[in-house]
Amino acid sequence: MLVLSRKVGEVITIGNSIELTIVGYDRGVVRIGINAPKSIAVHRKEIYDKIVETNQESSSVQFDVLKDILKNTSIDDSLSDMNKLEQLALHNSKPKNKD
Amino acid sequence: MEQEVKLIKITTPHFGEIEIEDDKLFKFPDGLLGFENLNRFVLINHEETAPLRWLISIDEPNIGFPLINPWLVDIDYKPGRGIDLEKEAAFVVITLGNKEREMTANMKAPIVLEVENKTGRQVVISKDKYSTKQAVINKPKNEGV
Repeated sequence: MLVLSRKVGEVITIGNSIELTIVGYDRGVVRIGINAPKSIAVHRKEIYDKIVETNQESSSVQFDVLKDILKNTSIDDSLSDMNKLEQLALHNSKPKNKD
Repeated sequence: MEQEVKLIKITTPHFGEIEIEDDKLFKFPDGLLGFENLNRFVLINHEETAPLRWLISIDEPNIGFPLINPWLVDIDYKPGRGIDLEKEAAFVVITLGNKEREMTANMKAPIVLEVENKTGRQVVISKDKYSTKQAVINKPKNEGV
């Protein structure tokens, strides 16, 4: 890993479109300002990792498990009608039965 | 004049073979977090898992994400200015909880579908308030006696 020493107010550039500014330092906490194009996603790593993990977990949830849950329990959807945008986003063709 | 709609056939472990009209596909230029290489999805409703929806990958149809309307989880949900609720439909990703028949929702990283341009993205909300595992409230149905 490349390690650079910087003072408060100094800047690091990455490529020609990203700038990191050391904004401040106080009791073990470094504050960093980031300038980057909108197309570059910037995340706190521990949060990014948690979301990746949650997505992975979600992708392994089986249809039959949720079917079973929703056969025996129900989610109250009386307060919020399916909004128009949600309706437009849905693909309407009815999935064929599994067997 | 009506434009011809192409049909794409995919086979999913979720609901077997389905036919998708290609004008119903959502492009995800950046994929989802951890799934950056999946760039085309379709949003499916199946009556047996409603009101959940399924975001199914066209590129890898064995990958699908159960989603829910976040306002069914938290009626005061405020995802912030990064989402235009006039144009974009928001959903959150469902995972299973630790208890039996418990579901949790990732309120921290909603999936946003821009309905007119048919593009989608996963947004990370910086507010600390929202959890990646918020319990979804589901009540036992009355057993018919």
